[in-house]
Amino acid sequence: MAADTFLGRPISPLTRRRIDNFRANRRGYGALWIFGVLFALSLVAELWANDKPLVVRHAGNWYVPIFATYPETTFGGIFKTEADYRSAEVQRLIEDEGDGWIVWPPVRYSYDTYKKDLPPGVGAPSPPTAFDNWLGTDDQARDVLARAIYGFRMSVLFALVLTALSAVVGVAAGAVQGYFGGWVDLVMQRFIEVWTSIPLLFTLIILASIVEPNVWWLLGIMLLFEWVAFVYIVRAEFLKVRNLDYVRAARALGVLDRHIMFRHILPNAMVSTLTYLPFVLTGAVTLLTSLDFLGFGLPPGSPSLGEMVGQGKENPQAPWLGLTAFTVLSVMLVLLVFVGEAVRDAFDPYKAVDA
Amino acid sequence: MTRLVDVRDLRVTFGHGARAVEAVRGVSFHVGAGETVSLVGESGSGKSVSALSILQLLPYPKAWHPSGSIRFRDRELMGAPAAELRAIRGDRIAMVFQEPMTSLNPLHTIERQVAETLVLHKHMLPPDARARTVELLSLVGLPNAAQRLRAYPHELSGGQRQRVMIAMALANAPDLLIADEPTTAVDVTIQAQILRLVKDLQRQLGMAVLWITHDLDVVRKISDRVYVMNEGEVKESGTPAEIFERPQHPYTRKLLDARPKGRGAPVPGDAAEIMRVDGLKVWFPIRAGILKRTVDHVKAVDGVGLTVRAGQTVGVVGESGSGKTTLGLAALRLTRATGGGVYFDGRDLLALPPRDVRPLRSDMQIVFQDPYGSLSPRMSVGQIIGEGLAAHARLPAVEGERRALIAGILEEVGLEPAMQDRYPHEFSGGQRQRIAVARALALRPKFIVLDEPTSALDVSVQAQILDLLRDLQARHRLAYLFISHDLKVIRALADHVVVMHHGKIVEQGPADAVFDRPREPYTRALLAAALDLEVVDAAAVST
Repeated sequence: MAADTFLGRPISPLTRRRIDNFRANRRGYGALWIFGVLFALSLVAELWANDKPLVVRHAGNWYVPIFATYPETTFGGIFKTEADYRSAEVQRLIEDEGDGWIVWPPVRYSYDTYKKDLPPGVGAPSPPTAFDNWLGTDDQARDVLARAIYGFRMSVLFALVLTALSAVVGVAAGAVQGYFGGWVDLVMQRFIEVWTSIPLLFTLIILASIVEPNVWWLLGIMLLFEWVAFVYIVRAEFLKVRNLDYVRAARALGVLDRHIMFRHILPNAMVSTLTYLPFVLTGAVTLLTSLDFLGFGLPPGSPSLGEMVGQGKENPQAPWLGLTAFTVLSVMLVLLVFVGEAVRDAFDPYKAVDA
Repeated sequence: MTRLVDVRDLRVTFGHGARAVEAVRGVSFHVGAGETVSLVGESGSGKSVSALSILQLLPYPKAWHPSGSIRFRDRELMGAPAAELRAIRGDRIAMVFQEPMTSLNPLHTIERQVAETLVLHKHMLPPDARARTVELLSLVGLPNAAQRLRAYPHELSGGQRQRVMIAMALANAPDLLIADEPTTAVDVTIQAQILRLVKDLQRQLGMAVLWITHDLDVVRKISDRVYVMNEGEVKESGTPAEIFERPQHPYTRKLLDARPKGRGAPVPGDAAEIMRVDGLKVWFPIRAGILKRTVDHVKAVDGVGLTVRAGQTVGVVGESGSGKTTLGLAALRLTRATGGGVYFDGRDLLALPPRDVRPLRSDMQIVFQDPYGSLSPRMSVGQIIGEGLAAHARLPAVEGERRALIAGILEEVGLEPAMQDRYPHEFSGGQRQRIAVARALALRPKFIVLDEPTSALDVSVQAQILDLLRDLQARHRLAYLFISHDLKVIRALADHVVVMHHGKIVEQGPADAVFDRPREPYTRALLAAALDLEVVDAAAVST
C-alpha cells in the first residue's frame, strides 16, 4: 500500500479525506489562498509601502535605506540625523549633486508618514490623487492606503496571537475539567460562569484610565476573557473520550494521567478546537477594531482599522476614510468566515467528498 | 411453488469511476410464496445490500445497478416509478431492521407508528386503525396491548420494541417480510422468542420471509432454503440439510468449521490462586429531589464472588445488563467498587493506594470488545504496544532493541513485525483484535480480563482469535476472566462458568456441570435459547 503524502509528510486516509473535503469547498479553499497571499504581502509591507527608498545610487555608491540608516551627511547634507528622503532637498542632493537616482516602493508612505507637502488650499484629510495618495490621506495627513495595509497586518497578527494563546489556556483548562470531572469540573465551571459575566468592554475602559494601553496590555486583558470560548468544547470532548475503550486500556496499562490526556485524548479534542479556531479569529479582529474605534485600543499612532473607522465617522466629507476601512474589514472577515466554513466541512464526519 | 420474488443477476455498485466499489456481483435468488429463505454471510458479503435492492432502498444515485432484474409477482421493480414502489413498500413487502433502539421514532407513541401504515395504505379511519393496531400488537405478543397504545418507545424493552417493529411490518398482511438481522442486537432469550413468533405468524398469515443473518444456527433453525453469500456472490444454495450436512463450496465449509468447538482445559485443583473476588458490589446511586439525596441504587454488581487460578479460564455469561462487564472492570479497579474485596496475588486491590496499584497493572490486563474503539487512532501499532512497557519503564531506550521486542510480541499474536509502523485503521477487525491482545500481552501479565473479545468479529475471524487465546494461555499459563454473552464461545474455552443475572451470580461451577446439568431455571432457559434457540421456562427470563 503506497503511503499517501501531503506536503511531504505521510498522512492517514482520515487526514486525506479532510484535505479533500476542505478543497471540495471551493469558496473556502479560494478564500484561504487569497487570504494567505494578502497576509504574506502585508508581512513584507515595508518593501512596498514605505517612506524610505528601496535603493539609492549616489556618487557611484549603492545604498539600501529600507535596511540601513544613513545620516543626511552621507549624501552631502548638513544634518547628522537620518536623511528624510521625502524632502525635496535630500532628493536634490542625491539626484543632482550626487548624479544618482532613487528607486521608490510603489507606495511612498509608511503608516506613520505625515505628508508635509499638501498642495495649497487643501487640508487634511485630503482626497485621493493619482500616483501619490491613491486612497487619500486621513485627518493627520497620513496616507490611507499605507495605513490600511499596516492596519490589516496589525489586526491579523493580533488576532492570531490572541487566538493561539487563548487556545492554549482554554484547551488546558477544558482538558483538566473534562478529564477529572467531579468537583474539579464543578468548581471551575462555576468560576467560569462568574468570570464570563464580567463585561470586557467596561473592564478595558476602566483599565485604560489607569494605565497607558499598549499592545501587550491589550493582549493580556483580552486573553483573560477569550480563553473561556475553548473550555466548553474541549471539556465536552474530554468527558466523552475519557470513557472510550482505548483510554480505559491505557489506564489498565498503568499509564500516567498526564500521558493519557496528552497522547490519547488531546488529539481528539484538537479536531473540535480547530473547527472553532477561525471563528474565534474573526471575533478577535472585530473586538480589536471596536476597541480602537472607541479609542480604548492600540496606542495613538498605531496602524489601526478601528481608528480609521472612527475618522470616517468624524469626517463625513471625506468618504475615502470610511469606505477604505469598511472594505478592508469586510473583505478580511468574509475571507476568514469562508475559510472557517471550509475547515468545519473538512472535519465533518458525515460529509462525503463525492456526494 | 410460484416465485413471489425473483432476483436475477443483480449487481450493485457504490460510487463511480476509480472509487467505485462492487458490493454485489451478479446475485440470483428467489423466494416462493410462504417460504422462509435465508441469506447468510459475514459482514461485507452483500447480503443486506441485496435485500435492500428489492425495495430499491439503497442510497441512489450513489448506488447503482449495472445489471439485474427484480420481479415481484411478475412486476419489474428495478427502476420502477417511485409511486409504484411506495405502494409496495410496507404494504406487499415489509421490512424489520436490526436495531430496535433506533428504528422506532422516539417522539411518537407506538399506536401512531403502527397505525401510520394502516392509514397510508388501507385508508383506514382512526377508530378502525386503532382496533387493528390493538389486534396486531396482541398478535406479536405484546402484553396488555390495549393499555400500551400510548406508550413511547423508551418505555418498552428491546424485545418489546422489536415486537412493535414486527407488528408495524405485519400491519398490511404483506406477502413478503424482509428481516435484516432482527435478532442480532437482542439477547439470546429474546432471540428465541422472536424466532418462535415469526414462525408462528408465518404459519397463520402464510407470508414468505427473507431472513438476512450472519448466524448459522438461526439459519439452520428457521429456513426452508439457504443462500450462502460471500464477496458479493452467492457461493452455494440449498436446503439447510444440504448446506449443513453436505457443504459443497469451500467457503461454506470454512464457515461451518469456524463455529467454536473444543472444551476448556481443566486446571489442577491446587493451581495457584491469581484473582479472588469476594462479595464484590458496584452500586450506582440514583439521586432525586433538589438536594440530590441518594434514594436508591442501581446494583450493577451485587455480592459477586469467584476465583481464578493460574492457567484457568473462568467464563462469565449473562445477558445485557447482567453486570458482567462492570464486574470485569471492577476486578481490575477500573471502576469504583462499593464494597467487597478483590484479591490479586493475595493483596487486596481495593484497599491499596493508587500509587501501589500502578506497578500491579503490569500483571493484570484487559482486552475489550470493540476492536475499533479500543485502539487509539492516532498512534502507530508499535507505539500502542510499547505504551504499557514505557509506563513501567521496561521499554528499551535503544531503538533497535525496542523494535525487536515489539516485533517479537507481534509475531506471537500472528502479525508481521513490519506492521509496527502502521496505524490501526489499516487493519481489519480481526487484526485489530490481535493488536489489542498484543498490547495486553506485552507486559507479560498473569491475568487478563477478556471482555467479549470476539463479539464484534465475523465467525471465521472469531475462531482464529479463540485459537490464539487458547494457544497463548497454554504457552504462558495465563489466567483468563472471559466475559461473553455467547454461550458457545464460553463452552469452547471456559473451565469454570459463572452465570450472572441482574448483577447476581445465579449459578457457578465447572463448565461441564453447568452446561450439562444446569440447576437453576434461568440457566436452563438461557442454555435452551442460546444453544437450541428454543423458548423454555419463559417466566425465568424477561420479555
